[in-house]
Amino acid sequence: MSPDNLDIQNSLDKDLIASVTDLKVYFESKQGMVHSVDGVSFDIVDGEMMGLVGETGCGKSVTARTFMQLVQSPPGVLAGGNIKFRSKNSKSGSQVIDLLDLSENQIRELRGERIAMIFQDPGKALNPGLTIRTQIAEVFQEHRENDVLEKAGLKNKLTGVTEYFVKKYIKQEAGFLVTTLLKIPPLSTYKKKIDNGINRLVAEALEETQIPNPTKVMERFPHELSGGMKQRVMIAQAIACNPDLLIADEPTTALDVTVQARVLDLIKELQKRHKTSVLYISHDLSLVRRICDRIAVMYAGQIVETGDAETIFNQPKHPYTQGLINALPSMSHERGKLEAIEGIVPELIEPEPGCRFVSRCKRRKANCKKIDPKLQPISEVDKSHKVACLLYES
Amino acid sequence: MQIRDYIIRRLMILPILIIGTSIIVFALTRIGGSPIGIYLSHEMSPAEVQEMKERFHLDKPVPIQYFYWIKGVSQGDLGWSGVASAPVVDVFPKKFAATMELAIAAGIVAVSLGIAMGTFAGARRNKISDHIIRVVSVSGASMPLFWFAILLLIIFWVWLGWFPIGRSDPNLFEAIPHPTGFYTIDALLAGDFSAFRDAIWHLIMPAVALGYGATAIIARMMRSSLIEELQEDYVDAAKAKGLAERVVLKKHARRNALVPTVTVIGLTFGFLLQGTVVAEIIFRWPGLGRWMASAVLRGDQATIMTYVMFTSILFLFVNLVVDIIYAYLDRRVVLGD
Amino acid sequence: MVKNTQNLEIDEVGFNDSAFKVRLKRNLEILSNVLANPTTVLGLIIVILMLAMAIFAPIITEPNTPDPYQMPRDWKAARSAPLTPGHILGTTNRGGDVFYGVVWGARTSLKLSILVVTLTVVLGVIIGSVAGIVGGKVDEILMRIVDVFLSIPELIFALAIAAILGPSFTNIILALVVVFWVKYARIMRAQVIRIKQREYVDAAKIMGASKLQIYLKDILPNSFSPVMVQATLDMGNIVLVGATLSFIGLSEAGIAEWGVLVSEGQAGISAGRWWASTFPGLMVFLWALAFNLVGDGLRDVLDPRTETKR
Repeated sequence: MSPDNLDIQNSLDKDLIASVTDLKVYFESKQGMVHSVDGVSFDIVDGEMMGLVGETGCGKSVTARTFMQLVQSPPGVLAGGNIKFRSKNSKSGSQVIDLLDLSENQIRELRGERIAMIFQDPGKALNPGLTIRTQIAEVFQEHRENDVLEKAGLKNKLTGVTEYFVKKYIKQEAGFLVTTLLKIPPLSTYKKKIDNGINRLVAEALEETQIPNPTKVMERFPHELSGGMKQRVMIAQAIACNPDLLIADEPTTALDVTVQARVLDLIKELQKRHKTSVLYISHDLSLVRRICDRIAVMYAGQIVETGDAETIFNQPKHPYTQGLINALPSMSHERGKLEAIEGIVPELIEPEPGCRFVSRCKRRKANCKKIDPKLQPISEVDKSHKVACLLYES
Repeated sequence: MQIRDYIIRRLMILPILIIGTSIIVFALTRIGGSPIGIYLSHEMSPAEVQEMKERFHLDKPVPIQYFYWIKGVSQGDLGWSGVASAPVVDVFPKKFAATMELAIAAGIVAVSLGIAMGTFAGARRNKISDHIIRVVSVSGASMPLFWFAILLLIIFWVWLGWFPIGRSDPNLFEAIPHPTGFYTIDALLAGDFSAFRDAIWHLIMPAVALGYGATAIIARMMRSSLIEELQEDYVDAAKAKGLAERVVLKKHARRNALVPTVTVIGLTFGFLLQGTVVAEIIFRWPGLGRWMASAVLRGDQATIMTYVMFTSILFLFVNLVVDIIYAYLDRRVVLGD
Repeated sequence: MVKNTQNLEIDEVGFNDSAFKVRLKRNLEILSNVLANPTTVLGLIIVILMLAMAIFAPIITEPNTPDPYQMPRDWKAARSAPLTPGHILGTTNRGGDVFYGVVWGARTSLKLSILVVTLTVVLGVIIGSVAGIVGGKVDEILMRIVDVFLSIPELIFALAIAAILGPSFTNIILALVVVFWVKYARIMRAQVIRIKQREYVDAAKIMGASKLQIYLKDILPNSFSPVMVQATLDMGNIVLVGATLSFIGLSEAGIAEWGVLVSEGQAGISAGRWWASTFPGLMVFLWALAFNLVGDGLRDVLDPRTETKR
């Protein structure tokens, strides 16, 4: 960690696990810079489930991927902001770092280990050509070398060249020569022990997500499993190293409704058990309300409202949030009437100043087209509920 | 079940195709003038000429002649090669081994170089190295083998003197036994490393020349399928696990990109097969190709017929195998998601 | 971004546009898409240069007498290296000007490719159409014959035919036609079958159009694209195979043809005289490359889904 990072050591509130400040991620295109994420700020409380809600294209996925620097760098450009993160179980105790400041090697240490991600379509996010075992094993091989050695019964028992070869094998750094040597006795016995150790770790991970018959499932390929099973596998893979932050990018969108509920329960349970913080991305406001502690609503690359889940739902302040909630079918509406928000999402290429929701807002005022609304607390009393709307600015 | 039916259907057509080919080949020889021209000479008297004609059944109607040919082939008589001054069957095995050695070497070059180049380019899309490799790939399909081979000859044999032409140094190779007919393997089996090196050194230029076209095609396919794979979600998911770029590329993306590439590899067999004719001429390689080239210029019908039949049958079988593999792979992909 | 012209068929018309105008609009659209790709444009430029060289050969170099297709022999200047005055690319062993060979070789190649491609297209389209339209036993038999032809590797087949017929330029043309017509038969048959099944053909039938009318008006124009693509690719490929045949020795000695020149230039190589083979060979490469680039570009625009096997 660079000396500069020491400055932000103490700049993250004790109860937060992560804090996004003024994040800007743009994309180069022939027509100009697309402002996908344009000044996004929100916090994630340690141990909570935070929902990030918005329609397709609002920038929520990009925001999520930026945590792990997974945005492709051309055409993506980091145009500003920082993401502070508290890494709890790192070798030097608890540490606060700026995720965007890390080098490729440094962020790789965190990926899958301190921060993990589960993706929308598990059928696509799992490699179709590799077994479940191989894919989950990779997490352990990359980050839990010592656990592997321990399970294999080889901890502290290897020396010299053997130790070197075996460790290379675990880390998937073995070249052609080493791989061939490991197939011949006596090295092959070590390889077998390592493989068995890995198998045990993988089986334990699968058990955590209540997958029946882990040893059989391990040997299967993704296409042999159902959608729900595949998502459990993804989740097992993600929590294998007990990460501090789990980012879930619409994990149930591609699943059947009944399966959805079970997977959500699983995530919630795991979260409680391991005290993992979760950033839950979704376009489904009612779903997010059920499982999340707090919600941030995103529109056209910006956060428009944040607050407790119940508060947002019962007392939405931003016209967009209100529109979303009104659009949800519910018992309180007249039969046969669904309210949709008029208009469409604006193009985000070199956007003009002013509120981006203005063309669709029923409560717009004259100033709304000229002045950028800032995300601010509703009142001095209720600082946790923030809105970005001129209607509430003093 | 569909696959099995497909295979059976293809296998049943096979004999028809082979027979059809033999008819065409035979018909060709009877169209173009005197088929025994190569055996006749001006000194022969009319009586001797007549005798020759009878011996080769030229006095009988053409379909009957066809059956005499087939009968001869089934008994192992492939005719007399004027070019080699020997029965075709006697000359064939040694030349076949020579051509096979060359073709396999070229194949190894094409597959390994092609996959490596394609992966390299695909991983570095739109960077300079990618553009260079793409230029090489595009040129590969349009490259006249005879020109490329001559260029190699000029640069590496005439100017630089690095590599020799021909198949081997006779001094080194007459001494050792030839159980396989593959000089490289024979040399290894005899433990003669200078002979081995000599054989390899003679192989390099012709193998590279012959394999170039195939390399280009394989590289192109590998590159495009790798680029496609790199767009898939599982690549992002693998990165999200903290895996190194190298592992993501090789273990995840490339492995899946190899699947469509394998089918292309089967197609390149045709390239290699036909290229041996020209490559062997230029590099003075004593194989079937060069033999055929001489036969073609001197009207050596027996050789021409044998060569065409042989390559066609080989071609048919390889295509069948490739198509079956492709059908099998396709099904698994279809059943998968 | 290139516009997607997939599946644009002549039946999809603008309401008040005349048929001619529709066709014109569509063709211009295709043209602009083709030109959007830089590699295709490069190929096109090379093609135009080659064609110019072929057409203006008598102006670029003094034609040889009595037969301009014979390489001139200037024994005094034999074996000259490139950049000698009067012989920019040097001379062959027999004193032929390599530059002359390059230029007139373009003309020869143009003759060869146009003749062969025209004949193969006509032959293939007719036979393919018959197979597709008539169907049944006729189709079966014709397709078996096509399969047999396809089971012999192209070069080897052409080699055998040219060998049997005897070495000459005309025989190379013949050999290539016999080998390459099958591709078009296959393409055409597939197109006929595909379009036969379309609704507007049924509509035409109901309206009482004769089979010939349906064929000419509906089937033929819509089958054009893949044939066009293949023909363009073949323009390059034919010269490639033809030059290979000439190189092996199945053409006439001493003519201004690239393959022959490369072959004749071989004799000087061990003595270090590289130019007599290198330049004509380069021309074959450029010719094939240019048409391949244009053909690929056409295919990307006209039918981006398929990737023909060669």
